Amino acid sequence: MAEQVTRKKRDRIGVVLYLVYILLLIASVLLIARIIHIQIFFDPGQKMTDALTPANVANTVDPARGNIIDCNGRLLAMSCPIYQICMDCTVRRDSNSPEEEEKWLDKARQLSAGLSEIYGDRTPEQYYDLIRGARLSGKKYLKIGKPVDRNAYNRIIELPLFCEGRYKSGLIVEQESIRQYPYGKLARRTIGFVRNNKSNVGNTHIGLEGKFDHILHGTDGIEWLRVTDFGRVRNSDSVYTRAVDGQDLRTTINIDYQEIADKALREQIQNEADLEGACFVLMEVSTGAIRAMVNLSRDRDTHTFEEIQNMAIGRKGEPGSVFKTVTLMSVLNDGYIHSLEETLPATNGNVAGTTIKDPHIPEFVHSHHTNRISVIDGFKISSNYVFATLAVQNYGVIRKGKKVDYERTEKFLGNIYAYKLGDAFDFDLDGLQTPTIPNPKTRYWTDTDLGSIGFGYSTEETPLHILTFYNAIANKGKMMKPYLVEDFEVDGKVTTRRGPSILTAAVCTKAVADTITRALKAVTEEGTAKRLKDAKCAVAGKTGTSFGTYENGQYVNAAGQRKYQGTFVGFFPADAPQYSVICMVYSKPTNQQFQGGGIPARAIKTVIDKLYNIDPCFRESIQQ
Amino acid sequence: MKTWKIADIWTFIKNSFTAILKGEFLLRLNIGRYFVHIVYTFFLFAMVIWLSLMIETSMAKVEKNKAILRELEIQHSQKTFEVVKLSRRSEVESELKRLGSNIGEPQKPATVLK
Repeated sequence: MAEQVTRKKRDRIGVVLYLVYILLLIASVLLIARIIHIQIFFDPGQKMTDALTPANVANTVDPARGNIIDCNGRLLAMSCPIYQICMDCTVRRDSNSPEEEEKWLDKARQLSAGLSEIYGDRTPEQYYDLIRGARLSGKKYLKIGKPVDRNAYNRIIELPLFCEGRYKSGLIVEQESIRQYPYGKLARRTIGFVRNNKSNVGNTHIGLEGKFDHILHGTDGIEWLRVTDFGRVRNSDSVYTRAVDGQDLRTTINIDYQEIADKALREQIQNEADLEGACFVLMEVSTGAIRAMVNLSRDRDTHTFEEIQNMAIGRKGEPGSVFKTVTLMSVLNDGYIHSLEETLPATNGNVAGTTIKDPHIPEFVHSHHTNRISVIDGFKISSNYVFATLAVQNYGVIRKGKKVDYERTEKFLGNIYAYKLGDAFDFDLDGLQTPTIPNPKTRYWTDTDLGSIGFGYSTEETPLHILTFYNAIANKGKMMKPYLVEDFEVDGKVTTRRGPSILTAAVCTKAVADTITRALKAVTEEGTAKRLKDAKCAVAGKTGTSFGTYENGQYVNAAGQRKYQGTFVGFFPADAPQYSVICMVYSKPTNQQFQGGGIPARAIKTVIDKLYNIDPCFRESIQQ
Repeated sequence: MKTWKIADIWTFIKNSFTAILKGEFLLRLNIGRYFVHIVYTFFLFAMVIWLSLMIETSMAKVEKNKAILRELEIQHSQKTFEVVKLSRRSEVESELKRLGSNIGEPQKPATVLK
């Protein structure tokens, strides 16, 4: 009997377990059938596929753009974010009860007061009307003010309503990384910029930013993101390409010197209504490193002077008397004159064999009671006659019957090319103009061309070409290539060093360089640049004034107005040159005179006086 | 040696089905020998799932930290910009003037003591 009871009990448990087992078995069969169905036959449709498939999107990782720093490591250009604040004014409009809506509008009124205080472009009432109006009309995207920096952004998101977050306030923030220039407009044209390619402006890559964009930008990275319960995360199973940040660019610019030069030039030109622009370049003699490059052009709209065009490299014109130094170097190098004291006949100022006439010669003859003029006197008073005569006498064509021999003229022009005044060399900025040097074998060549080249006409040079030539004289004949980029760096470590390079090992001998320096010193001591005589250190240099041509090829228009290009170029200290400098002003058609010995010399004197007090090379040392 | 016939397949299916219904299928296959391996396989599956969840959590943390880092970098660049702006020569001069300082531009070059 007991055995029967035990069996019965066991059977009941067995039956229950068996039933459970059968149920699970059926369930598993159904499950397997369902899986097979889903895997093979089921079509979920696009909507369900999108909802169930975790989004795996490629995301471009932007590299950090490299900074531009000056020669002392100070930041000239860096990337900072700006924030455009926008607002979805319809937020909670339809779900709010009348009381809640009133509360929302109250907060909007407080927000308006804050916005007015931060932006300052509208009154609190105007801001409130703007927000309220946009809410009534159902505007989902209302732009508020202009983009702001991080500090203003921090204050804005703490304002009433906005501090409640985007779902309650409708706050929309658009962040964009832009280039910031801590020194404002200083050297803006040299530092340059990269404009959005969508811009309708043709040239989108300007200055160092443009030329070295490929190095400053770095390399984009790519990562794949997927949506998880924790938000979007990088998909660790996908390929990840790390972004390589852009390299920093160290320029040769000294931002203090740039500011001194900028200020000095602005002081001289800002009240001159007839000037359309001016440029100033300061270069280190021994290396060719450009320490300051100022380019001020008159803005068409505001009529103020701004860094709009790089005239130092992009504007070529007839150099005028500063080119006489080229003629002087040529005749000294070729041995046609051996001393600056050699003289030429001074009578009426007519250059033999040409129509060139110098009205200053009769004046000189009269005041000095002489009928001869020395080369150095001609240089001091900037006589066209002397230098045209030197060119024509020594390099003029030789006529043998009908045959014309240009060999000597070509030698002179060859010298100009040898002084690197005929080609555009490789420079750290795009846009260096190629000088214009006439060729006697073309039909444009006239009999007066050689003479006029001798005193700086019939050719076109950029300020940088002229400065490079004078720098070579200061450097005892060794012509350094002007440059703006010292090196590229990553985290302060130099990756690529550029530094100084030589254009020509010797454009003249040391003796010739010394002779020319003596002539240039005479110009600042007794000649056309006497303004620089009382500068804090001795300056050697040359003034030059040329006239721009009108469309009819004349130098004067019907109203008797001229377009001036006044230049001073030189170096200092004259005895042991450290810096070479050029300043050029460009006038509109005017009856006023803008000579090289005027504004350019004054601006350069101001700069020299200031640099003298702060530049390490002028420091004296004493033993303790 | 016993040879297989088509009828044996039917017998096998029938026996298997009966075994499944009786709950003896795995026992008949003598699967008990591999019980430890089966448990270990399930353990591995569980570990894979757990690890992938951990990775997801870590990646989420990475994203959060990246956002914090970005914020700090932004603040750093903003502060740097402001400081550099203040170091401008004219800015220093006007600030000194505003504070009533007598310090101005040097009037002569510095003398270096050696």
